[in-house]
Amino acid sequence: MFPLVSVTLFLPLLGAALLVALPGVSTRGAHALGLVVSGLTMLGAAGMWARGAGAGFSQVEEVSWMPSLGAAYRVGVDGISLPLVLLTVVLFFVSFVFSANVTERARSYMALFLLLETASLGVFVALDAILFYVFFEVTLVAMYFIIADWGHEGRQRAALTFFLYTLLGSLPLLLAILGLYLGSDPRTFDMRAFIESPPLAGLAAMLAFIAMFVTFAVKTPIFPVHTWLPAAHVEAPTAGSVILAGVMLKLGTYGLVRFALQMTPDAFRVAAPYVAALAVFTALYGAFVALGQTDLKRLIAYTSVNHMGYVVLGVAVAAAATDTGVRALALDGAVLQMVSHGVVTGALFLLVGMLHDRTHTREMGELGGLLRIVPGLGWLFILAAFASLGLPGLAHFPAEFQVFLGTLRVYPVAVVAVLGIVITAGLYLRAIQTAFLGKPSERWHEMKDLGRREILTIIPLAILIVGIGVAPFLLLDVIHRTTEAIGL
Amino acid sequence: MTSVALTILGPLAAMVAILAIRYAAPALALLGVGAALIGAITTLVGVAGGARYAATLPGLPDLPLRLTATPLTAVLAAIVAVVSVFVILYAVGYMKEEGGKVRFFAQMSFFAAAMETLVLAGDWVLLLAAWEMIGLASYLLIGFWYEEDGIAEAATRAFLYTRTADLGLYLGIFILISQAGTSEIPRTLEVGGSAAFAASLLVLLAAAGKSAQTPLQGWLQAAMVGPTPVSALLHSATLVAAGAILLIRAFPLFPPGALLIMGALGGVTVVVTGLMAVANRDLKRLLAASTSSQYGFMLLALGAGSPVAALAHLTVHAAMKSALFLGSGVFQHARSSTEFSKLAGIGRERPLVFAGFAVAGLALAGVPPLAGFWSKDAVIAATYESPAAWLLFPLALVGTALTGIYVARTLRLLWKGEKQNEPVAGITWMGAGLSGLVALAVVLGFALEPLTRLVGGELPKDLLTVMLGAGVALGGLVLGWFVSVDSLLGPLRSSAEKGFRIGGGFEQFVARPALAVARATDTFDGGIHRGVLGVGRVGLGLARVSRLTDEKGIDGLIFALVRGTRSLGHRARRLQTGLVHKELLLAVTGGALILALLAIGTLAS
Repeated sequence: MFPLVSVTLFLPLLGAALLVALPGVSTRGAHALGLVVSGLTMLGAAGMWARGAGAGFSQVEEVSWMPSLGAAYRVGVDGISLPLVLLTVVLFFVSFVFSANVTERARSYMALFLLLETASLGVFVALDAILFYVFFEVTLVAMYFIIADWGHEGRQRAALTFFLYTLLGSLPLLLAILGLYLGSDPRTFDMRAFIESPPLAGLAAMLAFIAMFVTFAVKTPIFPVHTWLPAAHVEAPTAGSVILAGVMLKLGTYGLVRFALQMTPDAFRVAAPYVAALAVFTALYGAFVALGQTDLKRLIAYTSVNHMGYVVLGVAVAAAATDTGVRALALDGAVLQMVSHGVVTGALFLLVGMLHDRTHTREMGELGGLLRIVPGLGWLFILAAFASLGLPGLAHFPAEFQVFLGTLRVYPVAVVAVLGIVITAGLYLRAIQTAFLGKPSERWHEMKDLGRREILTIIPLAILIVGIGVAPFLLLDVIHRTTEAIGL
Repeated sequence: MTSVALTILGPLAAMVAILAIRYAAPALALLGVGAALIGAITTLVGVAGGARYAATLPGLPDLPLRLTATPLTAVLAAIVAVVSVFVILYAVGYMKEEGGKVRFFAQMSFFAAAMETLVLAGDWVLLLAAWEMIGLASYLLIGFWYEEDGIAEAATRAFLYTRTADLGLYLGIFILISQAGTSEIPRTLEVGGSAAFAASLLVLLAAAGKSAQTPLQGWLQAAMVGPTPVSALLHSATLVAAGAILLIRAFPLFPPGALLIMGALGGVTVVVTGLMAVANRDLKRLLAASTSSQYGFMLLALGAGSPVAALAHLTVHAAMKSALFLGSGVFQHARSSTEFSKLAGIGRERPLVFAGFAVAGLALAGVPPLAGFWSKDAVIAATYESPAAWLLFPLALVGTALTGIYVARTLRLLWKGEKQNEPVAGITWMGAGLSGLVALAVVLGFALEPLTRLVGGELPKDLLTVMLGAGVALGGLVLGWFVSVDSLLGPLRSSAEKGFRIGGGFEQFVARPALAVARATDTFDGGIHRGVLGVGRVGLGLARVSRLTDEKGIDGLIFALVRGTRSLGHRARRLQTGLVHKELLLAVTGGALILALLAIGTLAS
């Protein structure tokens, strides 16, 4: 069979290599190449979607690599990773469209984004723990350079903070992987084997769980190790923010499901109440801090903390649930929430980036009345904001509904997290009111509404926001097939 | 089933068409709601003939979306459709000289579609979705003139108030689905015990928010800044009505304790917002307070155990209140204001509109044989027959008197004064919408009997309460016409006018504390970030120190080891002198030592 997964996975890397090999390529050429390659990658992912995923791993491709160690090149997808693969290719494609305005060292920029795309896809499709870890780390390197070289004023420092934070954060994962390896019999790094029969038990499993939780908590991020996120977002270039929030945060929650939940289920069950409490706190805390922001980009960054808190809550509930139906419900919600958050927050960061390109400010107090001047941008912001505050018919509602419903059935008290939807409503309405409603100030009268490039960037995401909200079953059917088969 | 689908998809398609074509928006909107009306009437006829419609649509795993047409939902769908048609007809005239028609009519169509979805929803997920979408629609429409001062605040406030209360619906639904294992509304209502009690109170909270019941009535007054057709739709058949509709549909869930709470809440609202209406100096704000008060009557009826009486009052109120709003919109256009001080004498100036307005007002007050008389009579009778009559019955009577007072006062304020004769654009369309609804406010009372029989209930009736109710209503009208508000309310006047706000109200008790918490957490978060950076810096410091210790300490050790070994080697070299005799001696001594050790070893073992 045609190795579609591997081809899709390495296409962007090939593109990056091409860019490196062609030093004379123009800005336009580099951009065109990036677009074509990420477009082809999207086609590949569409092919993977068409092939579908069953309850377990499918479309598996395997090549032996270090047989003595039990490490091999193994990739494949299931109902949890396939939607995330789709999310990744869409967000990267959109980012490439948006990045037509990058003129400074466009060749390296595009190459880094392509490298990042392969690394991100690799995390989702890897079925070998070593392979997973390698991709997981490579994403860091690429993102570090994107922030440090194409970011805003304080980029160097923010990039370094981001890099050190997440690098140190990922070391425990390596220990946990070694632990799993040593516990497995016969020794292997095959993630399917780890999931099939969790190799560790008792204290060892708990230690491995804690190590993995630390890594993924930093990545997700969870209170109190979330502070790299707003710092990195504020300084990152727009497309960098889109990928950071849309794809890279998902690496954390995906790892939480794939590793912590599936490989150390018993330890997770023991720790679930604490994880759930932390998740609820993170969600409410993120919402409140977001309410306190006046910088639109920081505001959106903190709502990510809130939304990712719901994802972790869903996973914790799934870990604690004894009833298969409830577990599938909470996990469906968590996985769908990852996709929804990627699409919605990606759109919001793009829109704020477009505003920033025009006004060179992100302070909402300096804006005002913009809906009259740039109706296209304004209405799309309102759409994305209402999606983010969980309005039915838009992307977040089905996911949050499932997470909350599952939570009530397992930890009735934790359902206080539902308060978050009122706080996010308050903060988005305030942002809309200050930035877009009221009388426009003289200063912005000359502002132009969305151009062609911007429309091409944002419309696909807007369609997805409405599409997921109206027909969540298109994704949930695939997700549910896997989640209902997870026996912990 | 096509007819049910048409009811929802008609206005929805109109919205899409308006947004896509951006031309002839009023006509498309009328077509949309017209289709909805045809769908709703066909459904109602079918249901009356004994048919039942149900459809299952894909939704969440194990929680499919459902639409159902039962007698109750079909009647509600028809009410929504009828009011929507008249209001949109009116809006064609009202919006004649306003900009933003595309946006207005698209949003109105969306509003109608969402509301039809809400009443026809057969499962909680779809109902909740529609519930929140009408919240969005009203946010957008209240904020229609978003550039003007204060408009955005009012829209934000309306959405936040209702969404906060919506948490009750979220939690109530979670409890019901968890207990019943399904999201099908009728089956979840069979839940009993403490879960039913908790869920019913939560549902009541959500409904109180949407129906602007005390103490959540503040947003409705502020929402008056939207275009008048929006107010008409909002108050009679959509947003505010949704609360009462939810309670009517969820009525079987309510255990006696929860019913009593619901009745008491309704009773308090009837009186409190009735007083607010009596004291108000602005026509539209008076009507808004009156709306809360009338929905209080519905809660009273429900609390007394008669959902049929509540449904009757909901139906009749929809016609009466939308007629009143449409009339006030004409006055508003004529005088560019809704303050009573600016509206004096408008009644003489526009006698036809005033006549329609007055008929609807008298119907609202409960003058026989207008429609409001029949439904209010049913509500009063229901409270009289209920086990909690001691509480609910007097409240219902006080509310009836207050209604009479504020209706008469309004008519007096509009009638007395000078004519000005300003022309009003689009009056034909407005008149058409208004007269249709006024006609309904007159005759709808006679349709209540067959209507209640269709949904399978009986209107409570009692000769004593009929006399009492009509008497109290007439008394109220007389008081309102002849006695000034100040002497009626005395010291209550000023606080009633301010809406009985306690302290700074929502602003002081919710918004400001929330923002303060937000700022505090933000500062705290900055602290954490600095803390983490500090840890990082300490780490770097440690690294520097360890570099020093490496250089001085470990390196020193290693060097010392090296030196030691070398000096040892140096000394060992001295032994190996090269002189044979000396080396031989050493070898013999060594050999002897080894032998001795071996000998001792074997002996010891």
